[in-house]
Order: sequence, then C-alpha cells, then structure tokens
Amino acid sequence: MTKQHPAWSPYDNNGGTCVAIAGADYCVTAADTRMSTGYSILSRDYSKIIKLADKCVMASSGFQADVKALQKLLAARHLIYQHQHNKQMSCPAMGQLLSNTLYYKRFFPYYSFNVLGGLDNEGKGCVYTYDAVGSYERVGYSSQGSGSTLIMPFLDNQLKSPSPLLLPAQDAVTPLSEAEAVDLVKTCFASATERDIYTGDKLEIVVLNKDGIHREYMELRKD
Amino acid sequence: MESIQAKQGLVGPNDPIQRTQLPYVTGTSVVALKYKDGILMAADMGGSYGSTIRYKSVERIKPIGKHSLLGASGEISDFQELLRNLDELILYDNMWDDGNSLGPKELHSYLTRVMYNRRNKFDPLWNSLVLGGVKNGQKYLGMVSMIGVNFEDSHVATGFGNHLARPILRDEWHENLSYEDGVKLLEKCMRVLLYRDRSAVNKLQIAKITEEGTTISQPYALKTFWGFTAFQNPTAGAEGSW
Amino acid sequence: MSNSAIDVPSRGGFSFDLCRRNDMLAKKGVNLPSFRKTGTTIVGLIFQDGVILGADTRATEGPIVCDKNCEKIHYMAPNIYCCGAGTAADTEAVTDMVSSQLQLHRYHTGRESRVVTALTLLKKHLFNYQGYVQAALVLGGVDCTGPHLHTIYPHGSTDTLPFATMGSGSLAAMAMFESKYKEGLTKDEGIQLVVDAICSGIFNDLGSGSNVDVCVITKGHKEYLRNHLLPNPRTFVNAKGYSFPKKTEVLLTKITPLRERVEVVEGGDAMEE
Repeated sequence: MTKQHPAWSPYDNNGGTCVAIAGADYCVTAADTRMSTGYSILSRDYSKIIKLADKCVMASSGFQADVKALQKLLAARHLIYQHQHNKQMSCPAMGQLLSNTLYYKRFFPYYSFNVLGGLDNEGKGCVYTYDAVGSYERVGYSSQGSGSTLIMPFLDNQLKSPSPLLLPAQDAVTPLSEAEAVDLVKTCFASATERDIYTGDKLEIVVLNKDGIHREYMELRKD
Repeated sequence: MESIQAKQGLVGPNDPIQRTQLPYVTGTSVVALKYKDGILMAADMGGSYGSTIRYKSVERIKPIGKHSLLGASGEISDFQELLRNLDELILYDNMWDDGNSLGPKELHSYLTRVMYNRRNKFDPLWNSLVLGGVKNGQKYLGMVSMIGVNFEDSHVATGFGNHLARPILRDEWHENLSYEDGVKLLEKCMRVLLYRDRSAVNKLQIAKITEEGTTISQPYALKTFWGFTAFQNPTAGAEGSW
Repeated sequence: MSNSAIDVPSRGGFSFDLCRRNDMLAKKGVNLPSFRKTGTTIVGLIFQDGVILGADTRATEGPIVCDKNCEKIHYMAPNIYCCGAGTAADTEAVTDMVSSQLQLHRYHTGRESRVVTALTLLKKHLFNYQGYVQAALVLGGVDCTGPHLHTIYPHGSTDTLPFATMGSGSLAAMAMFESKYKEGLTKDEGIQLVVDAICSGIFNDLGSGSNVDVCVITKGHKEYLRNHLLPNPRTFVNAKGYSFPKKTEVLLTKITPLRERVEVVEGGDAMEE
C-alpha cells in the first residue's frame, strides 16, 4: 500500500458569480455573497464587490485569498495615484491597471475572475471583463464565475450587443432602463442559484449613476 | 546575519529551506462563536501523529496581546513558531509605548498576510487559524486557512468542525447568547466532534475573551452516552446475520 | 496469436481489461463522461414503532443541478424502503433488481419479505462488483422480527444502527442525529428529527438541496410523504416576464442550387475483392 500523506494545492475555488451591466447613464454590478470550498459553505455573507474608486467597482470570484491580495494591491495603487494626481482614477484607467496587475502574475496567476463596472469620463456606463491572466475587453454586459455559463447566454439573448466589427462603432451599452437592468440581474441570479451549487445565499447589487453609488440586497436560495 | 541563516537549509547551504512539506503532529478542529459579551472558543487537546493520537495535553488556544485569542488546528510546531513570532510582534508594538495596541482585527489581517505569503513561497504554515477578540466594545471573530483564505463570521470552525459543528451553530446560534448558553452550544459541538472525528480526544479547553480580559479553562472531559440498546445486540431478530 | 483463450467458454467473473484501457486513456487526457450523481443527504432512524427514512431531492452533475426534485427513497418491498446515494443509475438499478428478487421470493414463499434478506442481496451484489457499482444505501423496514435500519457501503460492507446517514451531506445530518437522537421517539418527534437532519444536509452541504422526502414504515403500514417540506421557494420572479424572439436573423434569401458533381449509377458492377 502506498503511504498516504496530505497534499496541498496553492489554489482553491471559493465559487461565486458576478454580473455587470452598463447602461447609457448607469452601471449595475452584482454578485452573490456565498463563499464555499468543495461541498461546504464557509460564509453566507461575504461581499465580493469592492469600490475601487468613486466611479468604479470590481466584483470578483475565484480564489478568495488571491482576490483579497488583488483588492489590496489595487487599493494601494489607487491611493498612490490619488497622491500623485489629486483626483480619482477613471474607470477605463482602472480597467487597464487591473489588466496589467493580472498579467504581471502571468506565470503564477491570481486565480480571480473579475468584472469591473463603472462610469467612464462621459458618464456612460462601462463594463470590463477579464480572464485570470489579464486579457480584457470593454463590453456592454458580462458575467464571470461559477454561474457565468448559465447567465451569459441569457444576457446575450436579452441584451444582444452590436457586433464590435460594425463601422462606425456602435455603443455597447444596453438599451434598458436602470430599474429594468436591476430586475434582469435579479432574474439572472435567482435562476443561476436554481442550477449552480456554488451560487446562492444573498445577492448584492451595486448601482452607479450620476447620483453616486447605491447598494441593495436580495435573498437567494440557501441550499 | 539572521536573514542569511534563514535562507539556508539544514541539509546544505544551497538547498532552499523547507519546513512543512507534510505535517507531523497535528491538532483537529477549533470551534468558536460570538456571544453577548465577547468570544468563546473551544478546542480539544489531542496531538495526532498521523492516525496515532500521540499527545494529549497540547494547548491549542492561546491569548495574543490583551484583546485577542488565537486557536489553531493543523501542524502544532508551525503554530508554536507562529506564537513566538506573534509574541515578538506584540512586544515591539508595546515598545512604542504610544497607548496603541494591536486589536483582533489587526492581528487577523496580519495573520492573513503571513499565511498568504507563505503559500506564495510554496512553504505554507500547515494550520487553520481562528482569531477572536474584543476591543473598544467591538467583537471580532475570523478565520484564516493554510493558503490564506480568510473571512469573518459570527461563528467559525476549522477542519472537521466545518462539516459537523457549523450545521449545529447555524441552527442554534443567535446574537444574544449568554455565557452559559454559549458554553453549552460549544460543548454540544465538541461532543458531536468527539463522537465522529477519529482524531478528537475527550479533553478540551474552552476560552473566553471579553472587554475585561481572557480566561482559558482548565482541561476537562465531556459526558458521553454509549447506551443505545441498538448498539447492544445489533442482529436481534436475525441471529448470526449482519 | 493463439485462439484458445477465446474458444474456452467464459467462466464469468470480472474483466479488468477495460479498466486498464480507461486508465491509459485517462493518462492521455481522455475524459470519461460524467455520470449523474446524487450528491446527497439520506438518513434513517428507528423510532418507537418503526423506521423513518428521509432524503433530499437534488441530483447533481459536477457543479450543476440536473434534477431539482428527484426521488431518492426507493421501493424495495411493501414493508421495506431504501434510500440511495452515489451514481443515480447504480442506486436505481441495484434497488430495482433486488426489489424484483424480493417480489419473486414472496411469490415463492407467500410470506412478507425480511429486511435482512434485502440487506444480504444488496451487499452480495455490491461486494461482487468490488465498489464499481457506486451505491451507498440506507435500508430500512419493519418485518416480523421488528424494525431494522442498515447502511450499505459501495464495497458491500454493512452496518446495523439506531440512526444512520449517508451521502455528501452525511456529516451535516449526523451532527443533528448525534446531538438530538433519543431512544423511543414518537412518530412526530421522529419525523421532526429526520426533517431536521435532511434540512441540515440541504442547507450546509452544496451537494444536497431542494425538498425533503420522508417515508415512515411501521408494522403493517407505511406512509410515503413525498415533498413533505418545500423549504426552498424561488426568491425572485420578474412580474413582466421575458420575451424570447423566435426568429434567427435572416442573412440571405437567394438560393443557389448546387451543381451535381457526381453521377450516381444504380446497379453498377460489383466491387473488386
């Protein structure tokens, strides 16, 4: 018989789903608050969304320890930026910074799946979607994490965005009103929770618009 | 000087130092919860060498500074080294003599970074840590895993406790638990762990931390029950069967 | 190569050729299809006048829930039921097979089936297949010798217990049993404890979820309480609903018939050897 000895892996997957939708003058970012490992729940109330700047929030799922390290790094970089430039970083700038930060760890990646939601310099909603090593794109809407495979096709169906190949370039923002977008996000999560075991407990929705930032919560299934 | 030495292994000057590649002596679950006046934490005193329970008087809950309690499961030597580091940290913090001191939140944050940095070096501290404390009327209870996963909650449990104790805690925990009810709840969890976790031993300590300070109980045993009639003659009705 | 090995009639037993092939394929990166597993919480307990079985109703395939309301308490005989965890196909097949053998046995003897008979048939089958039939079972029933509760592991070992749990939620459920079970529970207390144990699995184990099924077996009587509790209603429904456009976008309406490239001749010459 071979000797058993415990192995360890530097990575874990703590589950969770993130969605962001950009509109003409708003951006809705949402994530569930379940943190799990394997088949067990670690916490039912862990926020995956952090505010990086006045008009920029990030929702992240994946390996919590990496996500936390990433959040701390971005917060520190943003503090330096404020000291140097005496202003808040714009969302597109934060988008590029996040990409560079992820790529910097290309060969020992941050196992984190992020969406960045915010308002750009014109006050338009913007969403950036990433993979774990920093490839990114500005889009009208996106979903990341364990339930993304269930949510993304539904968003594609409801919010079909214009092809990025069209000339002249068309706005990627969705035509929905803010309230409609929030309802759409709630539906997405209620449905993903039905079928994805890593999504559930509670939904946290962050809405950014010209009035500022606003958070709301909705209960999800707890099984 | 110390850093040069630290970079060298015991085997040879060019070998990278490696401590815990696999754990030797380990402790099992720690269970902790918030109650009305502070934090309660429970852990048994077993130290397992593989599947042998080798030590039976290992203290796995220790006070850190004035406001915090640290409980650990996993490799005992790593925990004890960590305690030495934390002692130094608290000492140097004290030497500022500025009236400030590290609270549970700061210590938890520090431990989070220690664990995560060690995993980044592929040389983890083989522990799951529970940090609880009270400072300025604020209760704090958090957990850190071997690879740096961390969170705060109103009740936490490491290892097997996550599977066996937390379902009970989620059912029965509430914000206004009295000290007596908190201890009863922890004992209930520890009893289930004793029944179902093979590396648990019936000798445990329960620690309390409040604004007033820390108390760690003397080791004691729980009452157990093995008298179900179904255990006496399982094959009644079909003699000689299974 | 000699043919003798093929000519000798098969003497039964297990061939591991395919296992070796599968290991080889797995090493080359070929993934076998995933099966529907009931990452499950199933439980049973003995109360003052019989046995109560319980199960959740979630079936999963990896991280995805493939059945939100499946049945995991299987019929074995009028007085015997069996909860199944593991690969859904295996638990269903093995319980069906044994229940039909029990039926035949009843026709033959004209007596009520005994729980030990079911237990023996199940464990024999599972032991024969060395754990490859992935069924973890909680078997309960009441026969002429009284109430019985057993667990059966995939390799064929069995246990006789006053209370039992199985599946991925077994620890969460066992936490409830170990802290609340007493001997001589009444029927209502027994059902409540089974519901608590299943709910503990449903809410603490991600492999278990949805609803609670309960089956109460007493002397000469049984009650199958399908969906006894529905603790997980949907949390949000958009009042306006959603429309899903039926059409795919029409890109081209002109039809260009393809020119025939090959002429097919019916009844041509026979092929050469």
